[in-house]
Amino acid sequence: MRAFSAVMTLLVALSFLPGCRQHHSLTTEAKPLDSAYGTEADWNNPQRLIPLNYQQVQGQRVFYHECVWCHADSTPAGPSNRTNLTPSPALANDGATLNGLNNDYLQNVISLGGSAMSKSAMMPPWGRTLRQDEIKAVIAFIRQIAQPVYQGSSSAGPKYSER
Amino acid sequence: MASEKMGKVTNGLRLAFALSSVAFLLTMALSPLRDLLLEWKHYKREYVRFAESRPDTKRLLADYNSGIDQIWLPRLNATERCVTCHQGIDQQSLIDSSVPEPFRAHLFIPHRVKEWGCVVCHRGQGLATTVKEAHLATLTWEQSQLPISYIQGSCGVCHGAEMPEAPRLSKGREVLADLYCVGCHKLQGMTRPVMLGPDLTNVGNKTSKEWIFKWLKEPRTVSDANGNASVNGYETEPEPRMPQFRFNDAEIRSLALFLGQQKAQPIEAYRFDTRIAAAWEKRPEVVDQGEVRFKQMFCSTCHSLAVVRAGETQLIGGNIGPELTKVASKVNSDWLIYWLRDPQAYLPHSLMPRYGWTDEDLYKVVQYIMNRLTDQDLFSNVPKLGTAQSSEIQLGKKLFQERGCSSCHVISGIKMLEDFGPDLSSEGAKTVSQLEFGSAKIEHNLIPFLDAKMADSFSVNPNARMPQYHFKEEDLPALTTALLGMTGPQSIPGIGTLVIPIPKKEYQPAGDYGKAYERYKCYVCHRFNGFGGTLAPDLSIEGSRAPRRWIADFLKNPQTLRPMLIFRMPQFNITDQEVDVLAGYIKMVLQSAQVDEHATSLQQFPASQTTMGKQLYEVKYQCQSCHTIGSSGGYVGPNLSNAGNWLNVAWIEEWLKNPQALVPDAIEPRRDLTQEEIQALTAYLVTLKQGSQAKQAGAAQGGGK
Repeated sequence: MRAFSAVMTLLVALSFLPGCRQHHSLTTEAKPLDSAYGTEADWNNPQRLIPLNYQQVQGQRVFYHECVWCHADSTPAGPSNRTNLTPSPALANDGATLNGLNNDYLQNVISLGGSAMSKSAMMPPWGRTLRQDEIKAVIAFIRQIAQPVYQGSSSAGPKYSER
Repeated sequence: MASEKMGKVTNGLRLAFALSSVAFLLTMALSPLRDLLLEWKHYKREYVRFAESRPDTKRLLADYNSGIDQIWLPRLNATERCVTCHQGIDQQSLIDSSVPEPFRAHLFIPHRVKEWGCVVCHRGQGLATTVKEAHLATLTWEQSQLPISYIQGSCGVCHGAEMPEAPRLSKGREVLADLYCVGCHKLQGMTRPVMLGPDLTNVGNKTSKEWIFKWLKEPRTVSDANGNASVNGYETEPEPRMPQFRFNDAEIRSLALFLGQQKAQPIEAYRFDTRIAAAWEKRPEVVDQGEVRFKQMFCSTCHSLAVVRAGETQLIGGNIGPELTKVASKVNSDWLIYWLRDPQAYLPHSLMPRYGWTDEDLYKVVQYIMNRLTDQDLFSNVPKLGTAQSSEIQLGKKLFQERGCSSCHVISGIKMLEDFGPDLSSEGAKTVSQLEFGSAKIEHNLIPFLDAKMADSFSVNPNARMPQYHFKEEDLPALTTALLGMTGPQSIPGIGTLVIPIPKKEYQPAGDYGKAYERYKCYVCHRFNGFGGTLAPDLSIEGSRAPRRWIADFLKNPQTLRPMLIFRMPQFNITDQEVDVLAGYIKMVLQSAQVDEHATSLQQFPASQTTMGKQLYEVKYQCQSCHTIGSSGGYVGPNLSNAGNWLNVAWIEEWLKNPQALVPDAIEPRRDLTQEEIQALTAYLVTLKQGSQAKQAGAAQGGGK
């Protein structure tokens, strides 16, 4: 009799166990780069890899095809065209210059070119060559690699939400 | 009496019965309570609480139900329950990283979650309803979720074609193809190339058995932390195709002796013009002159040399052909001359073009190679091999067949071995229980397994036949990603079979042009109608771009138009007759339908238009930021100093309208130019001429430039 109720109590207690399991068992030992779709080496410190998400990786691809020639000091081909230009184009990771500009502004200056935004005409318009979502991806990429780190611009820029 | 006693219900029994009934009822009541505490229900309730804290509660809860949510994907023949917890996955307002998981929306990707589900990319178990079982490989399930850094492997399951959106997958496939993994393994979507490793039928005439010994033992130079060579191997390539096999010294000796005997065809020594040999034999500057010629011919476009700069060994040059730093320690000069004069005579599948040598150039370049590209210490640790015993030759032959050498190398009389290694065409679909971890101290999962196998297959299986590869650190995850994409035959109907394209020379022109095209191996670097290499410009519509005379001049004396390029077209010494054939064919056949040379007459543009064009070029559009004219301008686009001779009028106009319509991956952006501006810019560009025509043009235009 006593044994029977003891067994019952045990069964009841056991039935709770699965429900009592830890809910957040997935806070794994994973390294931060494991959850990154791609990476970009920090331009100021090549040892440090910056994680990139899908959109930023697409931006990275466009950047290294179209933009890198003038907005970086070293290019896939070696020398940079940056030194040939006056005024000197901003480095894409130059947070001090770019973090203060909101996404709308960057979207416009890339799409319409420098002269449309009262900047140097040496920056050509890319709006008819790149799709708008590609330009958004480029912006997302340069935001991610910015030094100092980009904290979000004051005015909300366009969200990467359209197809 | 006995029966009465038996039927008698005592109070004790009643009590026991009542108690057990209560206990039973309690247990029954606990069951729904336990159900209430299920993990997914916890997330359901949390989501409602979370949605209520957001301004768009109504929208967030529009589809809410308290049960298990699942999506049915008829196309994939799959059902999955991930959305039970990931309830905000499709809500645009929850895309921000401040939203707690599992409610955060998925970042924008080209596949909509509702159409494709989660498991097709992330893997894991779509039907599980607990966090652990859905994401990890547990005892009851077999596939764990892929870390995001490897998720491009899933892209590869369906997308067999090139996929720029998935750079790591593309890189991995490239390395798989480059290193000829198909030599031993079956790989999904990859075909076995005609030539893998070099044909060894005649290798005894090319190199010494000592070199073969060295090559098998220490193929690569390995540097220690101080940059000093700790292993003085033959090759310096960071990722050589030839791996290091696990042979002992006796085995290497046998193989070297066996291979050293492979002399199917004697190499006839070429006799130089006696005057040349006599004139140059005793003059030391011949070596320097050979070096200059070697550089002028741009051998470095395909071959690299190791150079020590600031204590670090760097490879300078391309990787289409082998690295040549120590080549004179490998080959003898008779072979070298034979090879340089006609590579295909020795190796029919060789990609090396057949140069048109003058005796003097050939003599000098060979002197340079034999004297400078050598290493005196290379054989310092190679024992004297002496004469071979027949038992050693037999052992060498046996090893050649049994250790996989014949998977990549041909020797006449030995059957080429296919599928020497395991079939990897569905390796990415393997479950944990299908993997042999041996004594390897790694996490029991597919990714660590693949990593360990490729980094050092011995660590997993001490009897592995796979040789030691030296993958670059960043290539290993890329290779694993590519293998994860190999999950066997296409399983998703309606997507079709996509094949990984390997540059082929299926564009095979005939006639005199075809002969020259094959002789100079144009397709190794250039692309023609979708076939060929990508190192140099696509020439499919070159005839529309440039006038015939320019093409002919360029073939005779290639000069780069793009200052940033490191790799340049080698000088082949093409004969005048061949130049005529090549230029004529390119002009006639390699044409674009969009460029109509006859629509634009070779009109003389008025001087006013030229002036306006110059203004547009220099002030309004500032083309000089990317293009150089004369000595000033940018490096991005081609040098336009000779645009008037180089480009057709019709091409310039079409190009200015829309560069990508002619060359899809052109960097120059498309601009909104008016027809008038296009004409003016064209008028200006055609006045830009260098060389003998410049003066005439200048006079005709009244000083256009």
